[in-house]
This record gives sequence, structure tokens and C-alpha cells, in this order.
Amino acid sequence: MFEILNKKELAKNMVMYRVKAPHVAKKVQPGQFVIVRAFPTGERIPLTPANWDPQEGWVDIITFIRGKTTLKMAKELNIGDHILNIAGPLGNPTPMKKFGKILAIGLIAGIIEVYPIAKAWQRAGNEVVSLHVTPNPMIILKDEFEVAVSRHILESFDVQPHWGMDDISKEIVRRATKKVKELLENEHFDLVFVVGPAGGEKAVFNVVKEYGVPMEADLHSIMVDGTGMCGACRVNVGGEVKFACIDGPGFDAYKVDWDELIHRIGFYAPMEKIAMDNYLKALEDRGEQ
Amino acid sequence: MAARKIIKERIPTPERPPEERIKDFKEVNKGYTFELAIKEAERCLKCPYNYAPCIKGCPVHIDIPGFISKLVEYQDDPDKAVREALSVIWRCNTLPATTGRVCPQEDQCEMNCVMGKVGDKINIGKLERFVADYAREHGIDEELLSDIIPTIEKKEQSVAIVGAGPAGLTAAGELAKQGYNVTIFEALHEAGGVLMYGIPEFRLPKDIVEKEISKLKKLGVDIRTDHIVGRTITVDELIREYDAVFIGSGAGTPRLVNVPGVNLNGIYTANEFLTRVNLMKAYKFPEYDTPIYVGKKVIVIGAGNTAMDAARSARRFGVDVTVTYRRGEEYVSARKEEVKHAKEEGIKFEFFLNPVEFIGDEKGKVKAVKFEKMRFSDELDSRGKRKIEGTGEYTTLPADTVIIAIGKSPNRLIINTSNFNVEHGRIIVDENMMTSVDGVFAGGDAIRGEATVILAMGDGRKAAKAIDEYLKSKKK
Ligand SMILES: Cc1cc2nc3c(=O)[nH]c(=O)nc-3n(C[C@H](O)[C@H](O)[C@H](O)COP(=O)(O)OP(=O)(O)OC[C@H]3O[C@@H](n4cnc5c(N)ncnc54)[C@H](O)[C@@H]3O)c2cc1C
Ligand SMILES: Cc1cc2nc3c(=O)[nH]c(=O)nc-3n(C[C@H](O)[C@H](O)[C@H](O)COP(=O)(O)OP(=O)(O)OC[C@H]3O[C@@H](n4cnc5c(N)ncnc54)[C@H](O)[C@@H]3O)c2cc1C
Ligand code: SF4
Ligand code: SF4
Ligand code: FES
Repeated sequence: MFEILNKKELAKNMVMYRVKAPHVAKKVQPGQFVIVRAFPTGERIPLTPANWDPQEGWVDIITFIRGKTTLKMAKELNIGDHILNIAGPLGNPTPMKKFGKILAIGLIAGIIEVYPIAKAWQRAGNEVVSLHVTPNPMIILKDEFEVAVSRHILESFDVQPHWGMDDISKEIVRRATKKVKELLENEHFDLVFVVGPAGGEKAVFNVVKEYGVPMEADLHSIMVDGTGMCGACRVNVGGEVKFACIDGPGFDAYKVDWDELIHRIGFYAPMEKIAMDNYLKALEDRGEQ
Repeated sequence: MAARKIIKERIPTPERPPEERIKDFKEVNKGYTFELAIKEAERCLKCPYNYAPCIKGCPVHIDIPGFISKLVEYQDDPDKAVREALSVIWRCNTLPATTGRVCPQEDQCEMNCVMGKVGDKINIGKLERFVADYAREHGIDEELLSDIIPTIEKKEQSVAIVGAGPAGLTAAGELAKQGYNVTIFEALHEAGGVLMYGIPEFRLPKDIVEKEISKLKKLGVDIRTDHIVGRTITVDELIREYDAVFIGSGAGTPRLVNVPGVNLNGIYTANEFLTRVNLMKAYKFPEYDTPIYVGKKVIVIGAGNTAMDAARSARRFGVDVTVTYRRGEEYVSARKEEVKHAKEEGIKFEFFLNPVEFIGDEKGKVKAVKFEKMRFSDELDSRGKRKIEGTGEYTTLPADTVIIAIGKSPNRLIINTSNFNVEHGRIIVDENMMTSVDGVFAGGDAIRGEATVILAMGDGRKAAKAIDEYLKSKKK
């Protein structure tokens, strides 16, 4: 049981929890994640510590409200409450060597994972340019990035009232690819790093590969245990089956089978919708919105 | 003494009818009542300890005639009968409710039972289960435990255990009884290992496993779930912080068939399928949040215990299930009882089929499996099994869901982050269960690859003894 020490709404649908989890805070490195199980009937979902303090024993996790678990956490977990399980840290730390000049891109909530990595890369002597592509109401970590890296670029836009999630995704892809192209056209980068929805990552990759710049991406495959035991997170990298939880989550973007990844991530969407709709209905019955 | 009449037939244990049980995940076999257990116990010839072939067949050498005769001897006082029988079993095995249910008895204790020469062998597994169940339901195990606890002499030294499967739990229990300070580090959110995430509720109810774990807590064992050794804490750190370490991390890495299409949606490893169903309770979706996709036609690849568990779990979603195996029926490695139950439940079996391709639709979801038909060749492999060869003929079976259950290898993480000697992924130990690193012991599937619950427990017990010796000598 892990106590919530603080909770803040950073932006629309972006909630931060500061959780007492000394076992994670002591060990976590940039690039690693945790698996959270918040409720007795809940799923295990991967989330990323954005900040942590090994002495005080807390980690900050930021959730983007996308479905039932992240919404239920926002609705039902408050300061002083406990998260049932936080396993970790998991995954491989990102290599902290000197690459030179790095473009680190976060699409919407992907920026959460980019933050600790970009900060550490800058500290390791790289020149980091960060790019956050997001709808305006979901801007987060702007001040933090401005302190942590050489240059932080915000590529944000207003969401039109009639837009659905698909329109937002399209706008993200449109803006991300345009901006990346512009940056690569005018500046030299030694590495591009991206985190976001797989479709967006793939679109960015398609631009980057035309410039031949090395590129890494954190892959968001569906995970269950996160310890290499189930194979749910398997991805095809360079023709080999890899488990994102113990071989990743970062991989060489040139080797990833993107279409397969996109298919795998979307597989449970109909069921996730059922879970979400049931929960929304339960909220309604309780008179909440 | 008048010659006793020999009862040739086994006293059966009541089972729920297949058409009822495939609708839920509740236990299939109801076990003996006290009366029935006594009847079965009376069939046993109580062979002398030094001769009894059943004892030799049990990997932990439970005094089987010993516990069975206690039941018969004290049958007028059921509580006493069970208490005495349980004390005998506990000398060698602290998880009898589990082993009584899941041991491959036909290849172990029951294999050479002398009753087999004149009739049915004694149903040792079900008797063992009966003793454990009755004891649990009547608080007798708690009583026995509270007798033990005050006699434990607390020691200063501490032992770290990696993994809360049967190997780790057994080692922890034995060491705690010796008075050591024991801490278990478990990666998942619940202790139990395969007993919790792999073997389904209808074969091993989870409250039984939870009860066993609560007993360990009573013995003072500290269980830290959510701790992944190799990441949250390394083996080197454990060596520094504890006086000895036991590794029982199991064989949790699923093996995949290396053929095109293996990453299509709808293709699960048995571990993923069973973890979703058992540990995460996906069969109760959407009451529980974890989803699972079962479709209408399920193909299971493999014919071991894991395959049977996956097939029977899938069947409980009301779908059509076929188990396919590349060899013939005589090489099926699952427990006989599971195969019988699977067949009763309407699961089909197809032999001599080897998958060569998974065929998907335009959305990346599996829709069929292409198999090559196999046949026996004249050669034998290294284990004396008849080799098989392809016939060059193919067949395609439709499938919405495919579950791959062709085996597992030891967990990689712990091996990749430590420096003990390893062979084929298995940790190497000496005759005292010690690895190549001083003070680090190991047992269970981590050293054997895929084995059994009772062998893992046997290792845990043996390692606990060795650790006790090691720590005593270290103290001097
Ligand atoms: C390594 C890694 C790090 C992540 N870090 C963060 C983070 O810091 N902040 C954040 O908001 N999100 C992060 N995510 C994504 C996060 O896991 C999903 O947002 C979360 O699972 C959504 O759950 P839900 O029930 O709210 O939504 P659902 O309705 O269940 O799912 C919405 C979408 O989330 C994804 N998802 C669902 N279940 C899982 C699962 N078990 N594993 C992986 N993805 C899943 C799928 O793409 C799905 O379509 C990370 C994912 C990975 C793999
Ligand atoms: C579906 C299925 C059905 C089976 N049916 C039977 C049966 O009927 N009869 C039978 O005798 N045997 C059966 N077996 C085999 C039996 O379950 C195993 O042989 C036995 O569980 C091995 O015990 P163990 O303690 O070595 O490992 P496990 O039970 O695998 O436990 C290992 C534990 O270690 C944890 N762990 C792993 N790595 C780490 C790490 N780095 N840090 C912390 N914790 C870690 C795991 O999460 C797990 O909890 C079956 C196996 C499966 C999968
Ligand atoms: S532990 Fe297993 S092999 Fe030994 S007596 Fe019990 S059921 Fe038989
Ligand atoms: S071998 Fe059979 S008959 Fe003899 S003691 Fe064992 S169980 Fe009883
Ligand atoms: S999440 Fe289960 S193996 Fe990666």
C-alpha cells in the first residue's frame, strides 16, 4: 500500500500523484517505469515516474486520463489514500552517454516519459532540444523543461469544439511531422527520441528516416506483469520477438515493425470502451459527472 | 487376526458434472468426506515404512502409510485423526492441500502402490488433500501451528528469499521455523507463484493458497510484493544485507513457436492467458477491469498441464476448444486426471499437428492456423521418445484465439543481473543447493526448468536445511 502524499491537476485530463514508494524512488533511472494496480478489481497499468526523491522516498507519476483506470484514479484517489501496488522500477534505463545534439519529442502525454530522460541527457553533456506537440489545454511540464534542457519548443493548438479523438490525433501527427521536418531541415541532430501514441511515433519516424538520423522510441505495448512472464508486450524488432517490458521500453525506431505494434495496441479497444462506459454510468448513477 | 477383506475398487471422490462445471470456475473435484476418506484409508495395506513403495515414489518421502493409519486408528474422533495425520504429513510437506490436488500422483506416490497388483491403487493424493482440507476447515492447522510458534528460538541471522512460488514459500517456512528472520521478495502483487497466476481456480482454489501464505506471515515471514529482484534490489545487495539468499524465481519465460504470424492479435502465450484469467480475474470482466478475448474457436498448442489449464479455462467462456499436439496421445505429459476432465468437458484433441504459420486478417488478428501433419520416425531422441517427422501434408484449422503452451524457460531478469553459473538458462547448484556464489542457494524451476510443485517444495526444504548448516558454521 502506497500513500498518496500530493495530488494535482496539472492541466486538463493530466493528473499528478506524489506517492510514497521508497523501493522505487531509491532505484529508478530515467527510461524506467512502474506497474500500478490501483484497485482490488483493477488492471495493472504501466506509468512513468517523472520526478523522484531517493532520500524522501517518493515518486511523482502523471496520468493522462484516457480510460477507466486513469479516470477512476482521478475520481477516487485523493491525498491520504493509498495505491494498492506499485511494482518497479521496470524496464531498462536509457543509456546516458554523450550523443551530441538530441531532439526529444513528446506527443501529448508522451512528454511525461521524455522529461526525466531529456533532463538526464542534458546533464550528461548533451544539447537537448525538446518538442511537445499537444492540444493547448494539455500543456504540462513547460516550466520544468525550460529549466532542464537547452531549448523547449511548444507546438500546441486549440481543439475545435466539433473535434473527436481522431481529429486530435490527426492534428498531432500533422503538426509533429511538419515541425520535425522543419527542425531537421535547418539543424543537425545526432539522435531523435520520441514518445507518444504508436501512430504518431510512426509518422515521426517516417520523416526522420528521410534524413537518416538515428532514432529511438519508447514503445507503449500492452503490458500485464511487466516482468517478462506473459509476453503480452511482445514486439517485432529487427525480425526478432522482443518483450518491451524487459528488453525495452526503448528501441531503435528503424527496426520496429510499426504496423504490427499499432494493431496490437488497439486490440482491446472495444473492451476498454465497455469498461469505460460502465464506469461512466456508475458515476452517473451516483450523481457524479 | 482374521484376514481383512480386500476392497479392490477405489472409493471415488465426488465430481461436479461437466455440463455444470464448464459454466463457472469453481472447483471440479469435491474431495472426500470424512466417511469416504476412512473407507479409502482402510483399503491401504499399511506397508512397512522401509518397504512401502509409495513413500519411495513421493519426491519428499511423506510417510504415507503412517498418515493413513492415523486416520483409521482414530476414526472415532475425526479431529484427532486429522491432527495426527497432518502432523505426519507436515514433517515432509507443508502444502498438502496443494500437492494433494496438483501432484502427478500416477507417476509418483501412487505409481507402485502394491494395491495395484490386486485392484485399484490407493488414492493417496485425495487422502492427503482431505487431511489438509479438513484441518483447514476446522482450524486444526492453526492449532498445530500455534503449538509450534512458542517453541521457535529466534535467531539473529536473516535470509532473503527471491520469489514466492512453492520453492520460496517452503524455504521461507522451514527457515522461519528454525528461528531465522526471513524476507521474501516477490515481483507480482500477490504471493504464490504459479499456484496463484497459473493453475486455475477450478483446480486449486486461490483461498487455499492465500491461507498457506497467511500461515507463513504468522511465522513472522515478511513478504514484500512488487519487488523485482534485479531491478528493485539486486542479488548483490541482498548478499550484503542478508546472511544468506535463496533464489526460487521459477521458469516464467514463455516459449513461443518461431513461425510467421506469432505476434498476431488473438495469439496468447498460456502464461498471458492464464495470468489474465487467474491473477487478474478477466473471467469476471467488466466487474474486474482486465480484458481478455476468447472468440468462438480456440486452438491450444501443446499438451502439458499448462495446455490443459489453458484449454479448460477457455472452455469456461462457453467456446469451442481444440488441443493440438505434434506427437501422439501416449506422449501427453499432463496429469491423467486433467486430460480426463478436459475430455469430459468437451475439449477436442488433434494429434500429430505441428504449427507452421498463423494466418491473420487485414486488422492483424489471427483467423486460422496452418499445421503440418506429423508422423513417428523410427529414431529415438535422447530421452527415449520416438522422434517425429513432417509428412509434407498440411491442414488449416480456423481459430479466433490461439494459446501457445509449448513450455517455459527460467526467468531471464535475475540471471541477466547476477553472476552465478548458469546452463541453458538454469541456475547451477551443488549437492547442497548452493550456486557458484557463496551463500546464495537456489531451487525449484529456476534450477530445473519446468518441473513440478512438489519438486520445487522439496528443493526449498533441502535448501533451508543447507542454509541452516551454512549459517551455523558461519556463526562459529
Ligand atoms: C512503458 C510505458 C509507460 C507509460 N507511462 C505513462 C505515463 O507516465 N502516463 C500515462 O498517462 N500513461 C503512460 N503509459 C500509458 C498507460 O499505461 C495507459 O494510458 C493506461 O494503461 C491507460 O489505462 P486506462 O484504463 O485509463 O485506459 P484504457 O481505456 O484501458 O486504455 C486506453 C489505451 O491505453 C493503452 N493501455 C491500456 N491498458 C494498457 C496496459 N495494460 N499496458 C499498456 N498500455 C495500455 C492502450 O493503448 C489503450 O488503447 C505508459 C505505457 C507504457 C507501456
Ligand atoms: C499452468 C501451469 C500448470 C501447472 N500444473 C502443475 C500441476 O498440476 N502439478 C505440478 O506439480 N506442477 C504443475 N506446474 C508446474 C509447477 O507449477 C512449477 O513447477 C512450480 O510452480 C515451480 O515452483 P517455483 O517456486 O520454482 O516457481 P514459481 O511457481 O514459478 O514461482 C516463482 C516466483 O518467483 C517470482 N519471481 C520471478 N522472478 C523474480 C524476480 N526477479 N524478483 C522477484 N520475484 C521473482 C515469480 O513472480 C513467481 O511468483 C504447472 C505450471 C503451470 C504454469
Ligand atoms: S506430496 Fe505428492 S507425491 Fe508426495 S504423497 Fe503427496 S501427492 Fe503423493
Ligand atoms: S504402497 Fe499402497 S498399500 Fe502400501 S502403504 Fe503405500 S498406499 Fe498403502
Ligand atoms: S508485460 Fe508480460 S512479458 Fe512484458
